[in-house]
Amino acid sequence: MIRVPPLTRHLATFFLSALAVVWMVPVAMMLAVAFTPPEKRVTGFGGLLIDEVSLRNFGIVFKDAPILLHLFNSLVITLVSVGLVVMLGAMAAYAFARMRIRGKNILFFLLITTLMLPVPTLIVPLFQINKSLGLLDSYFGLILPYTALGLPFAIIILRGFFEALPVELEEAARLDGVTQARIFWFIALPLSWPALTVVVIFQFMTSFNEFVLALVTMDNNALKPLSLVPLIYSGQFFTQPGAMFATLTLITVPVVVVYFAMQRFMIGGLTTGAVKG
Amino acid sequence: MRFAAASRTQGWLFLFPAVALFAVFVLYPAFYIFYAGLFEWDGINQGVFVGPANFWRIFTDDGPFWIAMRNALYWAPLTIIPQMLLGFLIAFLLEIRSRLVPVFRALFYLPAIVSPVVIGIVWQRIYNPFGGLLSDIGMATGLRFLNFPFLADTQTAIFAVIVVNVWQWMGFSMLMYIAGMKGVSREILEAARLDGISTRQTAVHVVWPMLKHVHLTLILLGVIGTLQTFPLIYIMTKGGPNHATEMLPNYIFQQGFILQNMGYASALSVVLLVLSLGLSIFQVGVVGARFSFGGRA
Repeated sequence: MIRVPPLTRHLATFFLSALAVVWMVPVAMMLAVAFTPPEKRVTGFGGLLIDEVSLRNFGIVFKDAPILLHLFNSLVITLVSVGLVVMLGAMAAYAFARMRIRGKNILFFLLITTLMLPVPTLIVPLFQINKSLGLLDSYFGLILPYTALGLPFAIIILRGFFEALPVELEEAARLDGVTQARIFWFIALPLSWPALTVVVIFQFMTSFNEFVLALVTMDNNALKPLSLVPLIYSGQFFTQPGAMFATLTLITVPVVVVYFAMQRFMIGGLTTGAVKG
Repeated sequence: MRFAAASRTQGWLFLFPAVALFAVFVLYPAFYIFYAGLFEWDGINQGVFVGPANFWRIFTDDGPFWIAMRNALYWAPLTIIPQMLLGFLIAFLLEIRSRLVPVFRALFYLPAIVSPVVIGIVWQRIYNPFGGLLSDIGMATGLRFLNFPFLADTQTAIFAVIVVNVWQWMGFSMLMYIAGMKGVSREILEAARLDGISTRQTAVHVVWPMLKHVHLTLILLGVIGTLQTFPLIYIMTKGGPNHATEMLPNYIFQQGFILQNMGYASALSVVLLVLSLGLSIFQVGVVGARFSFGGRA
C-alpha cells in the first residue's frame, strides 16, 4: 500500500474505473448480442445497446448444436491431462529435488528449454506421430501432447517448492524406516498443495483453451472440444449472430467459473512459489 | 552405498513416466522437423530428399515468410510495451487503492482466460464496418475514420489484431506487477513519502527500477508469445488480406495442412524453433531474464 493525498486517491479510483469500463466493452457486447431476442435485428453500437433480454438464443444453441457433448469432450481431455501432469510432474519434480540421479541437470536444462518452445513448431510432427500411433480423432491424441507440453512448467514450479520444504521432516521419516515413495506420497505431496493448485489452474486453462493442436488432430465433429465449436457452427449460425454469441458465451462460462473459484489459491501460489530458472 | 544405489533406481522410476512422455511428444518432434525439413513431402506419400532446398527457398524466395518476419517485428514491441506500461500503471494505482485490488484484478485479467477463438470472433464484430461497434461509434460521434474496414485493409490489418492482443494480455502483465510490488519493501516507500517525493516520482524513480526482474520476465514471455501467435490470426484474418497479417505459426499451418507441403512446413518450423530458442537463450543468458512468477527473482 502506498499512502498519497486524497485527491490522488480519487484520481486513481476514477482512472481505474474508467479504464475498467472500456476494458469490459467487448465482454458486455458479447453478452448483449447473446441475450438479444433472435427475431430482432441486432442494431445500435454493434449490438451493445439492448432493450429486451431473452434466453432464446441459448435455446437455439442447445437445440441445434450438441454443446454439452463438446463440453464433455473438453472436460475429459482437460481433466485427464491435468491429472497426469499433476501426478507425473510431482513425481519427477520430487526426484529432481530430493533424489540422486545421474544426468539430472542435463534433463532439467532440457525441460527449461522447452518452456521457450512455441507449440506451432511441433504441429507437423505431432500430427504425424498421432497418425502413426492411431491417435487422430481420439482423446488421447490431445491428452498425451498436452500432458507432455505441460510437464516442464509443472516440474519447474514443483521442484522449487519441494526444495524449499524443510528437509528435517523427511529425514526423520527416513530414520523411522519409511520408504522414499511413502515419504513422497504422505509427506511431500500433501505439503505442496499451494504449488499443485498453480499447476492445476495453469494446466486447466491452457488445455481447455488450446486451439492449434485440436484443429489438426480432431476431424470428427463429435469428438471436438469446445475451443473448436465456433468454427463448426460458424456457417450454420452465419445469419444468427445471437446464436453465435450465445455459443461464445457458453464456451467462456467454464473457464471463468474455474478461474474465479480458484484464483485466491493462484495468487497465493504465485507469490510463494517463485521459480528459479 | 547400497542406499544410494537403491535411491538411484527409485529416482529413475519417479522420473520415467514424465521423461518418456516428454521424449515422445516434445523431444522427438523437435528433432523430427530438422529431418523432415530436408524433404519435399506431402505428408502422405514417400518424400523426396531435397537437402537444404526448402531452407534456401525460405530465405531467398518466399514473400509471405518475410512478411511474417516483419509482422513479428511489429508485434513484439507493439504488444509488449503497451502491456507493460498499462499493467504497471494499473498495478501501481492498485497499491494506492489496495482495497479495490480483487475487483480490478479480476476485471482486467478476465480477457486472458477467455479462449482466443471467442475473442477473435467478438472483435471481428467490433471491427465490422457494417454495423460494428467502432463504425457505429464513428457514425454517432462524427469520427468518420472509425468507419473503416480495419481487418480487410493490408495497411491496418496487423495493427488491428495487435490491439486485440494487447487487450487480451495486458491483465497478465498487471498480475505480474502486482505480485512483484508485494516484494518492494514498505520502508523504502515510506522513506520516499517522508522525503516528500511525489507519487509520480515514486512510481517512475523508485518502484519501476525495483521491478527490473518483472520487466525482463515480461519481455521474455512476450517474445515467446509473439512467436506462438496463432488462434487470433487464424480466426480474425487467416493471415490475409494478401498475407498482410501472416505470422510464422499461421504460415506453418497454411503450408503443412492446407497446401499439404509438410516438408516445407517442417523447414519453417525449424526456423521458428531456432529463432525462439535463440532469442530466449540470449535473453536468459546475456540479459539475465528469468521465468520468475512472483516477487523473488
